[in-house]
Amino acid sequence: MWDLFLQGISNVFAPQIFLLVTIGVAVGIVFGAVPGLTAVMAIALCLPMTYGLSSAAGLALLVALYVGATSGGLISAILLKIPGTPSSIATTFDGGPMMEKGEGAKALGVGIVFSFIGTILSIVALMFIAPYLARAALSFGPHEYFAIAVFSLTLIATLSSGSMIKGIFSGVAGFAVSTVGIAPVDAIRRFTFGQVELNAGFSILTVLVGMFAIAEIIKVAESSRAGGSIGAPVIARIKGFGFSLKEFFGQLPNGFRSSVIGIGIGILPGIGAGTSNIISYIVARSRSKTPEKFGKGTIEGVVASETANNAGIGGAMIPLLTLGIPGDAVTAILLGGFMIHGIQPGPMLLITQGEFVYTIFAALILSAVMMLILEFWGLRVFIRLLAIPKHILLPVIVVLCAVGAFGLASRIFDIWTILGFGVLGYAFVKAGIPTAPFIIGFILGPMAETNFRRGLQLADGDATSFLTNPISGSFLALAGLSIAWQVYRMLRPRPAAVSPADAVEARVKQPQE
Amino acid sequence: MQDARAREMLVGIMMLAAGTIYLYLTTGVPRRGTIDAAFIPYVLAFAMVALGLAQTFVAWRRTATDVAVEQDVDDETPTQGKPNYATVVKTLLLFAGFTVLIRPLGFPVAAAIYLFLQFIVLTPADRKPNYLFYLVLAPVCAAVIFVSFRYGFDLILPAGPLTRYLP
Repeated sequence: MWDLFLQGISNVFAPQIFLLVTIGVAVGIVFGAVPGLTAVMAIALCLPMTYGLSSAAGLALLVALYVGATSGGLISAILLKIPGTPSSIATTFDGGPMMEKGEGAKALGVGIVFSFIGTILSIVALMFIAPYLARAALSFGPHEYFAIAVFSLTLIATLSSGSMIKGIFSGVAGFAVSTVGIAPVDAIRRFTFGQVELNAGFSILTVLVGMFAIAEIIKVAESSRAGGSIGAPVIARIKGFGFSLKEFFGQLPNGFRSSVIGIGIGILPGIGAGTSNIISYIVARSRSKTPEKFGKGTIEGVVASETANNAGIGGAMIPLLTLGIPGDAVTAILLGGFMIHGIQPGPMLLITQGEFVYTIFAALILSAVMMLILEFWGLRVFIRLLAIPKHILLPVIVVLCAVGAFGLASRIFDIWTILGFGVLGYAFVKAGIPTAPFIIGFILGPMAETNFRRGLQLADGDATSFLTNPISGSFLALAGLSIAWQVYRMLRPRPAAVSPADAVEARVKQPQE
Repeated sequence: MQDARAREMLVGIMMLAAGTIYLYLTTGVPRRGTIDAAFIPYVLAFAMVALGLAQTFVAWRRTATDVAVEQDVDDETPTQGKPNYATVVKTLLLFAGFTVLIRPLGFPVAAAIYLFLQFIVLTPADRKPNYLFYLVLAPVCAAVIFVSFRYGFDLILPAGPLTRYLP
């Protein structure tokens, strides 16, 4: 393991990868900081740039964007009280009031340092957990993979924000869209309408870019005429890290606990950093000696949120690298990045391409270090970028999305596809249907169907084999329990009168997409 | 309150329609036994129809209290005024036009035209569009993107009539 790790470290210090990681983190921070731009967009836009790169260099760039964008959200969350990404929602609760009290520099310092700590701890967890999980997953067959896919689908659909019915529908619709093209096992064409372009189905990248980037742009276009630019805030110079050593050591237990929450939630499919920062914030408040200070500007709140959201990075990479299962939209697009470079994540990846995997681990560590350096010494540049008018920025992003789609197979058809999925994503937003289950359904659907058919073939058509196999039976039972619990929660009688404050509290405690 | 209830019912009907269309399309998939290429699509289609019915029923059964609480919660989130759907439609049409023109005009020209028009469409209502600035910025952005991808990342974007002038 250590040999591979050292090899990975030496690979990322090659000038090309080092430069790509630095640029990736900087671009990621911008996408995280500017409200309306997301990590998914950053990775989707940069994917075509990786076509001509080696797989290690290309994936290093993509994970650097992921780290930068996850952390960059804290800049606008603290300075503007607008979370740049859903993973920084809880940062606004105390970061905003600290800024108003003139402690913006301290809030930024704390947020940056504990983002770094959360990222590093999660990468350590990834490095130690991934090999064991991959070894266990080596014995998995079609039954196990089918059950894991079904379990992940139900978990994502039932735990996504808002209505459970809409969440499940979204997952099922994503699965349905994935059935377009040639069917597994018997190779029958389905829903292609005679179009040759549809034989291979829709590309993951076009679905992701459409559902997230184009849909987001359409959504922003709705309100852009009302005024799009944000004034650049003024921030005092950060002296040192902006906080004392006593404050740092005092926050270590909070940071460690929040990291564990972030890693644990990151591993679970469907509930990523958008949820972990809020749960971590609630836990920190309940464990604090001064819970009354929460919401009024305390570093405890910033530490809890920022450590947890960045700790989700390593957590989300665990199922992606070991099982090939993405936990959220960002890891889904990373999976697309792996596939574009001819790499199939799964238990065999660590065995057949160990050096590549450890290069990714090393790239994550280097990205965390670059994030720390760039956010401290380049903060003023990122703050100025917050003032770029949306009516200039968004059209350029649309063109880049079109370039990314065209680059997949040099087809105009793929540009039409992103437009189509963009409209669908926008319709989902307007209907209050979460989009993350759609994406996960689209990705896990073929895995579930293929393994279901193969499992039946292996068991001579005996469907009960999925229940009698201990691992698949357990996962299917968990999937059933997950749905039953959500149905119970939906049907149980609620108090007649609920105050808006209680309702907000309940909404905050609901897992976010 | 009634609006929110009607909206949720409309969402349910749309879900039901999507499920029904998918079910209709699934009937066109050739059958080769019980568990075949059409089996999973049938399961998904019936699930979508059932979920559409459930959503419509739940929305129909919603009480005034449910709607009131939800509206109070929604009021906590910042809004940016009434949605401007005209801008959305113009944006979609411009993107569609850009897609149609990429092959005949080439990426640089199509992108420059698209960017120029889209800058104007998205300019905030309280600000006068700076046509001269947009006229310079649009081709510069299109050229930078085209050159970066064509020569920096080996992605051959269509150049249209400009092909004969390119190295």
